[in-house]
Amino acid sequence: MTQQSPANVEFRQVGKALTRTDAPGKTTGRTPYAGDYAMPGMLHAKVLRAPAASARLKRIDASKARALEGVACVLTGPDLPDRLAPTDIPGQTGQKRMDTGQPILVRDRVRYFGEPLALIAAETRDIAEKAMELIDYELEPVPGVYDPEAALRPGAPIVQGKDNVVASQKMRKGDIGKGFAAADLIVESTYTSQFIEHAFLEPEVGLAWVDENEVINIRVATQVIEHFRGIADAIGVPHNKVRIRGAMVGGGFGGKEDVTVETYLAVLAKHTMRPVRLEFTREDSFLGHGKRHPFRMTYKTGVKKDGTITALEVRMLADAGAYVFLSPYVLLYAAVAAPGPYRVDNLFVDGKAVATNNMFTSAFRGFGGAQACIAYEQQMDEVAAALGMDRIEFRRRNYLKTGEMLATGVPIQSAVWTEECVDRAMAALGAPSEAPHPAARIGRGVAAYQQSYGRITWLHDTSECWVGVEVDGTVVVRSGVTDIGAGQISALGQIAAELLGVGLDDVVIYNSDSAVTPLAGTTTATRALYMTGNACRMAAATLRERLVERAAASFGVAPGDVDMAGNRAFVIGRPDTSMPFVDLVKLCAADGVHRSELAIFRAPFTDPIDPETGQGQVHPDYTYGAHAVEVAVDIETGEVTVLKSIGAHDVGQAINPAAVEGQIEGGAAQGQGYALSEEMLYEEGRLVTPSFSEYLMPTSMDMPLVQSIILESRSGLGPFGAKGIGEPSLTPVAPAIANAVADAIGTRVFELPITPERVVNAIGEKQGVQT
Amino acid sequence: MLGEFDLEIPDSIEEALELLAADDAPAPLAGGTNMLVDMRAGGTRPERVVSLARLEGVRWIAERDGRIAVGGGTTVSDLLQDERIAEHGASLVGAARVFAGQMVRNTATVAGNVAYGSPAADLVPPLMALDAGVTLMSKSASRTVPLADYFTGYRQTVRKPDELIAEISWPKRGAGMADLFYKLARRKGDAITVTGVAVSLALAGGKCAGVRIALGAVAPVVMRARKAEAMLDGQAPDAALIEAAARQAAQECDPIDDVRASAEYRRHTVHMLVRRLVGQAVEHLR
Repeated sequence: MTQQSPANVEFRQVGKALTRTDAPGKTTGRTPYAGDYAMPGMLHAKVLRAPAASARLKRIDASKARALEGVACVLTGPDLPDRLAPTDIPGQTGQKRMDTGQPILVRDRVRYFGEPLALIAAETRDIAEKAMELIDYELEPVPGVYDPEAALRPGAPIVQGKDNVVASQKMRKGDIGKGFAAADLIVESTYTSQFIEHAFLEPEVGLAWVDENEVINIRVATQVIEHFRGIADAIGVPHNKVRIRGAMVGGGFGGKEDVTVETYLAVLAKHTMRPVRLEFTREDSFLGHGKRHPFRMTYKTGVKKDGTITALEVRMLADAGAYVFLSPYVLLYAAVAAPGPYRVDNLFVDGKAVATNNMFTSAFRGFGGAQACIAYEQQMDEVAAALGMDRIEFRRRNYLKTGEMLATGVPIQSAVWTEECVDRAMAALGAPSEAPHPAARIGRGVAAYQQSYGRITWLHDTSECWVGVEVDGTVVVRSGVTDIGAGQISALGQIAAELLGVGLDDVVIYNSDSAVTPLAGTTTATRALYMTGNACRMAAATLRERLVERAAASFGVAPGDVDMAGNRAFVIGRPDTSMPFVDLVKLCAADGVHRSELAIFRAPFTDPIDPETGQGQVHPDYTYGAHAVEVAVDIETGEVTVLKSIGAHDVGQAINPAAVEGQIEGGAAQGQGYALSEEMLYEEGRLVTPSFSEYLMPTSMDMPLVQSIILESRSGLGPFGAKGIGEPSLTPVAPAIANAVADAIGTRVFELPITPERVVNAIGEKQGVQT
Repeated sequence: MLGEFDLEIPDSIEEALELLAADDAPAPLAGGTNMLVDMRAGGTRPERVVSLARLEGVRWIAERDGRIAVGGGTTVSDLLQDERIAEHGASLVGAARVFAGQMVRNTATVAGNVAYGSPAADLVPPLMALDAGVTLMSKSASRTVPLADYFTGYRQTVRKPDELIAEISWPKRGAGMADLFYKLARRKGDAITVTGVAVSLALAGGKCAGVRIALGAVAPVVMRARKAEAMLDGQAPDAALIEAAARQAAQECDPIDDVRASAEYRRHTVHMLVRRLVGQAVEHLR
């Protein structure tokens, strides 16, 4: 169900649930994914992974593997140039943090379970697998550290560098001493979250070859085609000698934000001068890309009897795993998000991301903001309960409002509709469900959030898009943007069609090629629509101006009197004075009017925030919304059934409401798994949930019908006032479920996932306390 | 990776039994929904596999001699579409309904679920509570073993390498009998069972008779809680007795800690679920 308000703007293409441009190809199976590409003479690659989390590589001998018939190449650490592969935030700035690199292959030290030891390329995959077994190596165990708190203790094994602190983040505002002194009540709790896996349908895959210009071409499933720079740096070739050709991506969620198979493919193709294909198995995928950071978050809130928050003190500890990757930024996002969508005048946040010999952690939909929401929204319920105040009423008294300042001391750029979203989501829950059996208890929960869209403003993010009109009146859009399944490119089509007065069917979009499509940046950080959508809007608007001017000259009216729609140009109010769009384009072609335009959109550029106070601008803007759920909890077995799941989000302007619903429904499912069943479990760094029989995402049997409520404030910084919804739709789901379970059982499970066993234990502890 | 193996695909059960009689003891492969996963994970590495997929005349359900019988090739999905199973094996239908996911149900066989010997096999507790027997056939002989005696240890069974499960059968059920199953898992679809409980009992003159309580995933094998059964048999079940029997069942089981749940939790849920299912059965029959 969709609710839109205000309904005072007329669009012709935008805002409609049009069939997406990528739909026919996907439904008929014609869309090639990166794994569908093959080349004559292609080799098949495998990655040999270390079966230990902390060890010294004493010796590695690939001679037997190399001697196997059909093996083209085996590379080990010493065979590669002594360079590190950057793991830092990707992008256009060329900025790079120090000490964030990882050797492409282990040279002497294994720091996490599954770290790559060798690369094999062979005539068939079977031969490559056999060759893997022939590589002889010796690992000597080295004491590791597997818990972030233990990693901070004196004498703890050091994973890398001088200590295990990967990043620290502070936020300081007001005076929490005074704030707590003014409080009538102080509530303190610790909430924890777990490692989780992106579990995209399409594991990492790619095909690389060296072309006639010695350019290493890599066809790959990625969110970030602009890793070509880092890959070139890692293997020691100029940036213009690596070309990434994307493909439709079968899911990203942040797991294809870092480099995955690209560097391996590049070195193997360069070494063999033959095309090389590498496809991760699901087991490779579980071991091969970073997970979501587990967080331990202690929240202490001071509050007055009337419900006013007087102080908030937050301590966060994140497990960064064995390499840095995006940990400093995930921590930053968590710290900025720490107070949630609430007014907190006295704020203290201290966060640390700490290295361990667990799997490295990096980007995951919500990027630290999701972890913070798990804590702040559970804390809001706990504080309300301590006050004896209704949960919604307590929130209402503390919501940030439109025009107010963020906790980082800068004004909010757009409308804040948190209250509307919470109220609509709660109202949509309707009458409470009947308990399905005598041991079932019904509970309800809601969570509100503030989640950024667009990248960190001191990364100076830009995006380019090219729009052109062919002489037959059809439209071409070119942009490097990667489509990871959310409808990123189809949205560009709707935007161009809107401005040029044509239909979505008249537009063809070329995307995701680092050499021939204008660079558009990453499909991460809920930025694709905001950034590339704006670039597309700008290019199409410029083109529209030229076309309208030419039409106005023909009609003998001022350009302001001309509009374009339905593949015609016409005089506003005089529909008889019109011409087909194709005729207008032909006139323009005859006159040599420039029928294409390349535009660049620049996000706000700022300096970094003050490291001591965290004050300053961090993101361009934020999305606000809420998720509400109703659950049934079996108090005897601890099983949780989600009965109702409702997302209400102010998306600014839905470019395609069906795509927005897709994001909300997907967020509801992924968030439900985060809350209840998903966990990557490591024992001394070794993954003990190596397959989908242990790693449990919700199935269709677990999901209720998800209801999407789309609100449109038209106040966002994206095209036509759009905000972003990719990450935000996930963020509030897990805490809403946690709050609903707590509501049902009268006590709280402070650790995610909320397994049946933890529910039973929490109930048992409560009963123990009472008796 | 699956590894290399020779694959034999016989058309008849006779041909299959002939192949299985070979000295190298090839592995029979039915639906493959357990075995292929295990082979891919490197748990099993048979050198020769005999596929049962093309055997003629092994996929059937019959009613004869007061018993319901299913052929060795009958799939889990088949159980859901047969009125005789619905009438005489309500708990089996209950288990089939929550068995893995649709694709697995369509290919997994009842016999394969039994033969694999997993303590978490969902069809085994209801079949055991129904007093099912397993008919094993080899090239030269045939024998029937009570399912309750079929499992000898964790993934160990009485089946000899040259035998196949030809059929599984159990006595028809009548009025005054109730058969219930509950699968407790970490999610509702496609999940490995944490605790499975099947209860079959009759109520005669207000007293329990033929009580069978079978427990899955809480011991090295699917097991019967015989002491708990004995506490109920011949007694008029009231809440206190049911509670005591449920506690007894929790005592009798022998669960382990694994990634899905702790032993302690499994024991707790045996207590809760036996109490619930026996209570429901009694309530249903009163």
